[in-house]
Amino acid sequence: MISCHELTKRFGAFTAVDRLTLDVAPGAICAFLGPNGAGKSTTVKMLTGLLAPSSGEAAVCGLKLTADPLALKRRIGVLPEDLGLFDDLTVEEHLELTGRIYGLSREATHSRTAQLLRALNLTEGRDTFAGHCSHGMRKKTAFAMALLPNPEVLFLDEPFEAIDPVTSKIMRDLLVAVAARGVTVFLTSHILPVVERIAHQLVIIRGGKMVWNSSAGQLPGSLEELYFNLAESPVTEELEWLGSERS
Amino acid sequence: MARVRAVLAALWTAIRRDMKSIGSFTSNNFFLVSVVFLALKDPEAFVSLNFLIGMVLFFPLSTDPLRKVPRVRLAIWPLTPREHQLLRILSPWLNPVTWLLAILALRGSVTLGLWALVAGLFMIGFVVPALPWSAKKGVWRRLPNFPGPLNQLIRKNLREILSTLDFYTALLVSGAALIFRISGRMPREALFPLTLLVMLALSTNAQSLFGLDGEGGLSRYRLLPIRGWQILAAKDAAFLLAALVLTLALAPLGGLAAALVALAQGHYASVNHRHEETRWRFSTATSFGGSIFQLILMAMAASATINFSPLILVPCLAAYVWSTWWFGRALERRPL
Repeated sequence: MISCHELTKRFGAFTAVDRLTLDVAPGAICAFLGPNGAGKSTTVKMLTGLLAPSSGEAAVCGLKLTADPLALKRRIGVLPEDLGLFDDLTVEEHLELTGRIYGLSREATHSRTAQLLRALNLTEGRDTFAGHCSHGMRKKTAFAMALLPNPEVLFLDEPFEAIDPVTSKIMRDLLVAVAARGVTVFLTSHILPVVERIAHQLVIIRGGKMVWNSSAGQLPGSLEELYFNLAESPVTEELEWLGSERS
Repeated sequence: MARVRAVLAALWTAIRRDMKSIGSFTSNNFFLVSVVFLALKDPEAFVSLNFLIGMVLFFPLSTDPLRKVPRVRLAIWPLTPREHQLLRILSPWLNPVTWLLAILALRGSVTLGLWALVAGLFMIGFVVPALPWSAKKGVWRRLPNFPGPLNQLIRKNLREILSTLDFYTALLVSGAALIFRISGRMPREALFPLTLLVMLALSTNAQSLFGLDGEGGLSRYRLLPIRGWQILAAKDAAFLLAALVLTLALAPLGGLAAALVALAQGHYASVNHRHEETRWRFSTATSFGGSIFQLILMAMAASATINFSPLILVPCLAAYVWSTWWFGRALERRPL
């Protein structure tokens, strides 16, 4: 469902993503992991048509990225890094906008909006302008917008970050359910225990290069261990002034 | 006292930054025209137009400086009740409007009207924002729905226009004109200049259509499966609606012609030179030449429509349609 070959993105002399070759099967949940600045969001941006690759090829839903961007956009749902919300629209208005723009009837948009608002605990804040929402509410709104058109592929950039445990579980269960119905999910995250629980495929990227790509069953040990070995090991800085005598 | 000084210093830094955005009116078509009048040795017109700008600017200027510190932050900081009181008393003096009013009061020139103005400003700037329900409501929550899939985009764009000072300057002119029209004191010859004045106040916005969308909004535009011309059309629909409502009491067809050519010309700057705008400030133009060109086009279109024939709207509409299609394509090829 997602396929990229030697996908590369350069910003001047800096290579953000370096010859990424990857395939994700239909109905799979692929977790794309790596430290900050590793190239995760750049990859998502390229795969969703937000950023043109410098070289290499990629196809989503069998469509080449540059061939027909509009047709591609109609078949995918995206939770972008910056959430992509308008400050001047309320939570509910964002969902109504999405439904109508993706060609749903007024009735279908209305009923799906109501269901998503209930499912994501957004009913109470439905009339709040995005500019006044908490980060968690904004994330849930953007997540609902990604789901509403019933896409074939979901691209989610850090969906579980800054989310309360209940919503995190709701989102996790929703993703597992839609993947079981054939929707492909490509997500980035730093929350390894959640990822370990739901992902079928694990990809780790460091400095723009892919350093691991396997199915979840092929993990040698725990994901955290593998991540610390391949992507980034924790550095402990001794802050000896913390807890010492106060002046 | 050191803590109060630290908070006041931070507030002062924030207010100084804010003052820079207040100066945005100098890049607005309305101010530009006032300067042209001055160059043409018409200081009265210069003063009149700047008086309108000043009146509109007065409202965002009279906000409570202490609002710049998040309420939670004020509660978390280890400040004593006395320090809180000191901040409450001293912080308004960081606002130049407080000084202005104090000087006027000391000079004994405080009339009943001025006290009413002070009371009004106090309500708007200090009391209303402190009410618990005001923050999340949004001023323009209730707006009409429009037919078609672009409904919510048009409503959003209308809310954006309604949060620029351009609209309120135009509203001031339009409101005054309406009063004169109703009282039967407006000569027919005044229709063209007043219509043009209203459109002049609105026109800079046509050069900065995406200025209030923010990064999140721009990335949403890139994700939406719609054509570039549709994104522009949703922007333009809001602008045209505002123009039509504000010129309704004057010469709506002339206003429409001016709005169409303002948009046809403004698409270039909006798409190719997008720049960030600030809410409750004047829209800013990207180039002096562009503004002059836009103003000439608007004057010609409005004048011809009002004085010769409404059929002038046809070429205006054609220019607008071409511009929307052309710059819509540019938007798809090189997203904002």
